[in-house]
Amino acid sequence: MKRIDSLLDKDLHLVERRKTIFLIPLGIVVVAAIMMIIFNFTLGSPLYLGTDFAGGFSVSVGLGSKLTDENYQEYCDKIEAALTEVPALEGDGKYNVRVDNMQKQGSGSTSTIRVKCFALKGVTEAQMSDEVFPAIRNTIDTKVLGFMPTIDFSDDGKKITLTYSEVVQTPDFEDLREAFAGKVIDVLNNGTENIVISGDAVDAVTRNEDNKKQIIIACESVNATDGVRRALAEGMKLVDMGDNVEDVGFTGATVSSELIFTAVLAVVLALIFMLCYIGLRFQLSSGIACILALFHDIIIMVCAMAICRIEINSTFIAALITILGYSINNSIIVFDRVRENMKSSYAKNMSAEDIANKSVKETLLRSINTTITTLIMIGMIAIIGVRDIRIFAFPIIIGLFAGTFSSIFIAPSLWALFQRIGKKGDKNMTVVKPEKKTEKTPVQA
Amino acid sequence: MDKQNFLAEAEVAHKPVKKKSTIVKLVFIGLALVLGMLIAFCPMRFGFWNYKPFMSNIKLGLDLEGGVYAVYQATETDTDNFASKLEGTRASLQALLVSKGYAEATVVIEGNDRIRVDVPSVENTSDILKIIGEPAKVSFVLTETKETVLTGDDVKGASAMYSPNDGGYVVSLDLTSEGQDKFFNATSNNINKTMDIVVTIGEESTTISSPTINLAISGNAIISGNFTADSAQKLADQINSGTFDVALEQRQIDTISPTLGDNALKYGLIAGIVGFILVIAFMCAIYRMLGVGASISLLFYVILYLFFLSVLPWVQLTLPGIAGILLSIGMAVDANIVIFERIKDEYRNGKSIMAAYHAGFKKALFSILDSNVTTVIACVLLLLLGTGSVSGFALTLLVGVLISLFTSLMVSRGIIKYFLNFNSYNAKLYNLRRSKQYADLGADVTDAQIQADMDKELEDKRKKKEEKKRLREMEKNAKQARATTEGGDNA
Repeated sequence: MKRIDSLLDKDLHLVERRKTIFLIPLGIVVVAAIMMIIFNFTLGSPLYLGTDFAGGFSVSVGLGSKLTDENYQEYCDKIEAALTEVPALEGDGKYNVRVDNMQKQGSGSTSTIRVKCFALKGVTEAQMSDEVFPAIRNTIDTKVLGFMPTIDFSDDGKKITLTYSEVVQTPDFEDLREAFAGKVIDVLNNGTENIVISGDAVDAVTRNEDNKKQIIIACESVNATDGVRRALAEGMKLVDMGDNVEDVGFTGATVSSELIFTAVLAVVLALIFMLCYIGLRFQLSSGIACILALFHDIIIMVCAMAICRIEINSTFIAALITILGYSINNSIIVFDRVRENMKSSYAKNMSAEDIANKSVKETLLRSINTTITTLIMIGMIAIIGVRDIRIFAFPIIIGLFAGTFSSIFIAPSLWALFQRIGKKGDKNMTVVKPEKKTEKTPVQA
Repeated sequence: MDKQNFLAEAEVAHKPVKKKSTIVKLVFIGLALVLGMLIAFCPMRFGFWNYKPFMSNIKLGLDLEGGVYAVYQATETDTDNFASKLEGTRASLQALLVSKGYAEATVVIEGNDRIRVDVPSVENTSDILKIIGEPAKVSFVLTETKETVLTGDDVKGASAMYSPNDGGYVVSLDLTSEGQDKFFNATSNNINKTMDIVVTIGEESTTISSPTINLAISGNAIISGNFTADSAQKLADQINSGTFDVALEQRQIDTISPTLGDNALKYGLIAGIVGFILVIAFMCAIYRMLGVGASISLLFYVILYLFFLSVLPWVQLTLPGIAGILLSIGMAVDANIVIFERIKDEYRNGKSIMAAYHAGFKKALFSILDSNVTTVIACVLLLLLGTGSVSGFALTLLVGVLISLFTSLMVSRGIIKYFLNFNSYNAKLYNLRRSKQYADLGADVTDAQIQADMDKELEDKRKKKEEKKRLREMEKNAKQARATTEGGDNA
């Protein structure tokens, strides 16, 4: 504590070092710009926009009464795993589907899991509806709902095995055997050529291999082409099971352009009003310095999001609003000291830089302490909270540091600079005009 | 300096402090705090009546509590500028929800021709109908000729109102200027004929009433016909949602679960409690008794803040909203820190503790007000101009700022004053230090003297008490000894 107190007796010459200090945020901005350019070419977008901003698509998986509170998470994991693995219809690639959030819709027989996914990079809308959505349906059918079989051909080409995943819980699977037998032959004969089935070789069995149900087809020869696989999978899809992929489609952005527009309009108006207020209560140059410091904070926050490539969603707007209030608060505490120091009888003999230095020095402790208390809270949120709350905490923490930095190093320096420029522009005006009125009236520029 | 004089003065200064009334006030504050915490956090039972703490009345958003969703299908998709009309409809639906207090509701365009509405804090699917209403189209048709006079497109909006002249509750239609002309022409040409007022919901049309046209009507149309307050409002809502640019038909409506698990809220609360304790610890470590005062007023802040959040209708807490509240706890002590640093400055430069306290609060007042006024400006503008979640967040921030101003300027000021009433002589209690220049002030000597006196007084009291206790103990022992000996004699 003593050491911090003794800081107050030293002159830190912060203002004189402004050129060096200004290099720090400038460096961050440059790094962010470079990263954004790199990301733009490698990942397709300079910023990582969440579904709130960029929209995306949603998949509704109807599960009916099979879905309970107990197996909800299990299904969620399964769906997420399936979606991330969705293979491209052509080639070996994957679509890199990323899940944003899931929720349960309805109850009882209408239970559905709705999955919201991020928009895919570099895929047109037409491609989405023609290729990706069917592929997603297929994958969910196969891997989650289990009524699309996976198909294996034996090496000698005489046996085809259709495997339904464990999720199929049809007690009457055995009863379906006969129906299957006929159906397989239908599918194979109608769908593709070059298959000769040997008579009544179709057999549906419940094999206890990982609780999966298998249908084994014996045949004379088969061409293990993709076409045969698909025809079999499609044809042998279990229907009337009550659950299906209800809907795959685009969803728009929840943060509409209107919301952003009005928010920006409100912020711009707020800045103008703040400028007027600070101009009235303090000096116009203080007001401009405050607003510039604020811009610095916001730019640094966006830069940090870009550099760390953290998802920007609607909570980021909330974070910006919070920092908007916080940053101005901190700067004003410093300018309040400036206002007071300018009134003191020593002010005449001091340059603007000296006054700024003195004020920063005198308010340093409170700037640090106020930041510490706020950091304690947001730090706890970041450490203890869940993922979604961390996305909110990160920009706030950056904003807090930026806000403290700007109120100590940037706003007073800028103010001193403006005072100097003002002096150069108008030689008749003194750098600072100490007002010797009553204590309560603020100094006005 | 004359040390003797100081001591004499100090003797006078240290007498008139009203210790008893201060204790009463502090006890009162403590009771208020306990009561506040009880009604904020603790569920209670009084006989058959269960009290729900107001903290649990705060409405939670979609991500924490789930709600209800509805999907609307646009029925006429082949009009010009369909996409922009759909977007316009989306915006007006959003505005409708915000006006009903659901700022956190989301309205999204799905696919090419559907609108999905997610409304938080609603448990029953029927409630969403109360909020949005099933879109209805109203039309006025001449009974004889079946000629349509007015359609829903001529209606700008509808509202329920009480009109004794029309026999109770009516629905008043706000017509477009074109609609007003049409209505005037039709009514003036068809006096003494009847006109059907038809409301179409989905495929179904019902004739609500068939009034007789008595005179040409200019201005707005009124639908009357045995309405209650509720049914009039319902019809007005339905007509309002039917006046969107795009005709909508309800397709799906069901409940939704929260997107975040129960853990999100739980861990958020744990983070809040741990952070709160750490902030208090920090304040008490740095500012000692001043920090204790600030901590008590911080507790008041939390209680008041939660109270307002549960009372204000537009507040719906999402997870970031909760983080925002926790964050505001860290920010609420900021004003106290500014004041305390100011008090330290004043003491450092030679004022007595009491004078430093007064000067600190007085001088810090304007810097705190100035800095918070700017935040208030930003919040008010965001509240007025912003839409949806932005205005919701601005509101919670605004309420927090105003309450923190009250607690840090008024509540903590009072509490610290009572602390000072007890002891305004021991600078160590408040972690105040003199600068080198004022290291040995005469006043401090007297303060130290008074402190020493007070300590001595306390010590004396303690000793007296101990003495008394010892005496009592001895008496007791003696009595016992006597009793046993007497008993022994009897036996």
